[in-house]
Amino acid sequence: MEEVDKILIHALKQIGTEVSEETDSIKRFTSELIVESVVKCIRVIDPGLGSALPTSLPPGMSARFRVGMMLAQACQDIGYKGEIGYQTFLYSNEPEIRSLLMFLVEKLPRESAEASDQPTGKSVVLQRAISAAIKAQLAVPWLPPNCRLPLHYATQSQETLHSFHVQPLSLPQSSGKEHLKEVKDYQRDILLPITAQLSSRTCLVASVLEQHTAELSAAQEWDNEWNSQGLLSRLTPQEYRSRKLTRLHKRIEDQLRSAALPSSESAFGVSHATSDLSELLQSFSGSTHSDHILTKGSHFTHTQKFTFTQDTTAVTNPIPTVRQSEGDALLRQQEELTSLQQQFQQLCSHVSQLAADMKHTNVTNAQVMDELKKREQANSEKEEKILVKKKTIDLLPDTDNNLLKLQAVVEASSKRVINLATQWEKHRAPLIDEHRRLKEICSTQDLESSRKLSEIKSLHDKISVSTEEAKRKEEMHKQLVTELENLPQDASRAEYTQRILEIVSNIKKQKEEITKILCDTKELQKEINNLTGKLDRTFAVTDELVFKDAKKDESVRKSYKYLAALHENCNQLIQTIEDTGTILREIRDLEEQIEVENGKKTVANLERILDDYKAIRQENSALAAKIRDG
Amino acid sequence: MASPETQLISSVGLIEKDVNGDTLWVWCYPSVSSELRQVLLSKCCLTQEGKDFHTFVFGQFCRTWYYITTVEVQEPTALNKVTHFSIVVTAKDFNPEKYAALGRILCRMYIKHGSPVKMMEAYITVLTKGVCQSDENGSFVIKDYDVRKAYLAGSIKDVVSQFGMETIILYTALMLKKRIVVHHPRIEVLLEFTRVLPALTWHRKDWSILHPYVHLTEVEEVDLKKSSGYIAGFTDPEVSNRSDLFDVFVNLPESVITISQNAKEAMAMGKLHKDIGQLIIQSAEDSERSDSQVIKDLSVKTREILTNLVALADECEDSKITLESLKKRHFPPATENFLFHLAAAEQLLQI
Repeated sequence: MEEVDKILIHALKQIGTEVSEETDSIKRFTSELIVESVVKCIRVIDPGLGSALPTSLPPGMSARFRVGMMLAQACQDIGYKGEIGYQTFLYSNEPEIRSLLMFLVEKLPRESAEASDQPTGKSVVLQRAISAAIKAQLAVPWLPPNCRLPLHYATQSQETLHSFHVQPLSLPQSSGKEHLKEVKDYQRDILLPITAQLSSRTCLVASVLEQHTAELSAAQEWDNEWNSQGLLSRLTPQEYRSRKLTRLHKRIEDQLRSAALPSSESAFGVSHATSDLSELLQSFSGSTHSDHILTKGSHFTHTQKFTFTQDTTAVTNPIPTVRQSEGDALLRQQEELTSLQQQFQQLCSHVSQLAADMKHTNVTNAQVMDELKKREQANSEKEEKILVKKKTIDLLPDTDNNLLKLQAVVEASSKRVINLATQWEKHRAPLIDEHRRLKEICSTQDLESSRKLSEIKSLHDKISVSTEEAKRKEEMHKQLVTELENLPQDASRAEYTQRILEIVSNIKKQKEEITKILCDTKELQKEINNLTGKLDRTFAVTDELVFKDAKKDESVRKSYKYLAALHENCNQLIQTIEDTGTILREIRDLEEQIEVENGKKTVANLERILDDYKAIRQENSALAAKIRDG
Repeated sequence: MASPETQLISSVGLIEKDVNGDTLWVWCYPSVSSELRQVLLSKCCLTQEGKDFHTFVFGQFCRTWYYITTVEVQEPTALNKVTHFSIVVTAKDFNPEKYAALGRILCRMYIKHGSPVKMMEAYITVLTKGVCQSDENGSFVIKDYDVRKAYLAGSIKDVVSQFGMETIILYTALMLKKRIVVHHPRIEVLLEFTRVLPALTWHRKDWSILHPYVHLTEVEEVDLKKSSGYIAGFTDPEVSNRSDLFDVFVNLPESVITISQNAKEAMAMGKLHKDIGQLIIQSAEDSERSDSQVIKDLSVKTREILTNLVALADECEDSKITLESLKKRHFPPATENFLFHLAAAEQLLQI
């Protein structure tokens, strides 16, 4: 009970009740203290209710009675289910007060619930700090420049306004690569610190942020790409990078070439003159223009275009008109018109003739090429034939012999060839088998390696997940540690936990003991039953036995009488023992009840009630007398 | 003594596909240039991604005809770890039947013995003697396979029945030595169709313009462009966008013939063409006439036109035709145009 009291007292102290150090249990609470603590609790729980209640008992009895009733009512409004009335406060007893105070303390609103809802993470702590600072800065009202105090200079003066300028920084690489000695010397002696590298201090933060973000995103992208594509390509990182570089170079070259081509070939005035930069860049993204297929067009369509442009140039040959007289001008114009038309027709005929010539030339050209090809082929065939015929002519003089010889030679060479083929086959077959075998091994190894790759990938995933987890847990840990440091150092929480753990172990022990006792009791009861049974049976048997003999013998009759008496007396003994046990139990119960009743301080309360009753009667009579008097 | 025809066979090669999925060129006699080897590997159906299996394909590259016979290896066999193989025979002449038969014999020999040596023996006997023992009671004799039979093996009637009057476009294109490109997704149909087209100009008997199986690779395009006029078969549908490769495009699955813009002027057709077209159709629809007879009819008509042209040429100096001499005859413009270009194709035009 003491720990409960301590907890209650601590809670009451927290809400503002003045509890002196000596009162360390509910027993010592006076009525005033009780009233004050209850009222303070109610004020915290429900300010509306609590404001109407005074914190101390007034001196007058009726007033005290009234205050007691109000308090009781308030407690019932809050929700206390037990029996409560003015007597609880004026004539208190320990158990009732304890239960009331426990109920009220439990009802006190908890402020600690908020902190656990917040997300963990030290970045969150940082963000909260930033938002708090910004809120504070925003809360400062804006003043015109003349009226500004030093407080405002940090946020409102001109000098603090900067735009986001970024300048490139030169940082020494901290990767594991080995550097040349000169590079190291340069980095150590000559390379300026970044604050000195910039043209103005205002760009510093922006430049550092930019540099850092660029490096970070590049590293992340490289990680992503490596984990997804790089591992699959089974190359080392350097090889993969170099291959990617060459691939990109080639692609850029191709795109530039294809974009440059159309502008050079469309010399007929198709409007590609300004090849738009945006179009060029669009073509880099890899979309193919299917309408860019350049058909050469026949000579006829070319001449069409040719005539068209000729026409325009002919037409736009301006002959300056000199304005003399109207009639003259008209005549002249007509002359000019006819001459132009003649020119035009001449040109047309010229052009058509040229076209016809071109056509003719093309056709004859095709014919000539054809003939040329045919003749070349015929030539080569004839050359071969000549070779063969020459050889045969050489052999002609001695035909028969030479024929035989030739046949023999042919047979010999075919045998030789076949012999060579067999020998070659002996070499070839094992090689091909070896090739196939190695290929099989290779493919199984491929399977293996792809399986291992997938394992690696899953491991990567697990690693990333675990690092995330670890990071999160660390952040949480840090935040909780800081929170723990920020919390007030109270003993009550530790006491709570201590007490709870003690209670739990106590209960465990008690449970064990109870089970033990129950076991023992059961055992004893069993034994008693056993023995009673035995006793009855033995007595019955003995009884019968002796009774049978008792009819005949006198001494046996006496012994029978003794037996009966013995049985009777023993029974009475047993009965008495049982009664003693019951009475002892009743005594214990009654003693407990006496203690409880004593704790209620009923006698003292009764005396006080009687005194108060007398006091009230006096007050009543005094009031009555006042009223009578006037 | 071996007949001169045997000198037409150039080489034999062996391509194997094994259980690892690799397709390798494992053997050849005599040597094959690496460029030709690459092309042959790409033509062999074992290297292609699709699961199509073509028993026999042929084509032309750099004036060499190649004939590829492919066989799937069935267990049990002396060849282990080989799932399929192809035998490639290259030659200078066009004769699919002959080389198909030879290919079959060589394939059977290879499967039976599991070693290319036996196959080579057969090849050498064919090379030296023109004859080879085959497994099925009989022998392979080169003389049995006349080249004329190969030329006439295709069915011109099928072509006419598929395209009707438009066959005249093909005839005109061939007469004027233009570039024809045929497309069909299946190679067998392509081979069947294209091999018969040169028969429309029977007087030339020139099958070297035929390239029945071409892929859209740089090497083959360069080779194709060496000839001014050709018949090229593609399985790749992309070829329809390549207007630089053809004057006439034949879309076989849809039976559509298109003339490209640049060739329209040269291919203008008039009454003469209509007559010829009618003749072709009539001849083909006659069920009593065989394919060779249809071709003969057409060649008769062609010879008629050519004789007229030669007569025309004789009248001019140098026995070459000029445009003016043609114009003097006052032919209708389409006919005049056709005759002019035909003269160029037949080497009759004055330069």
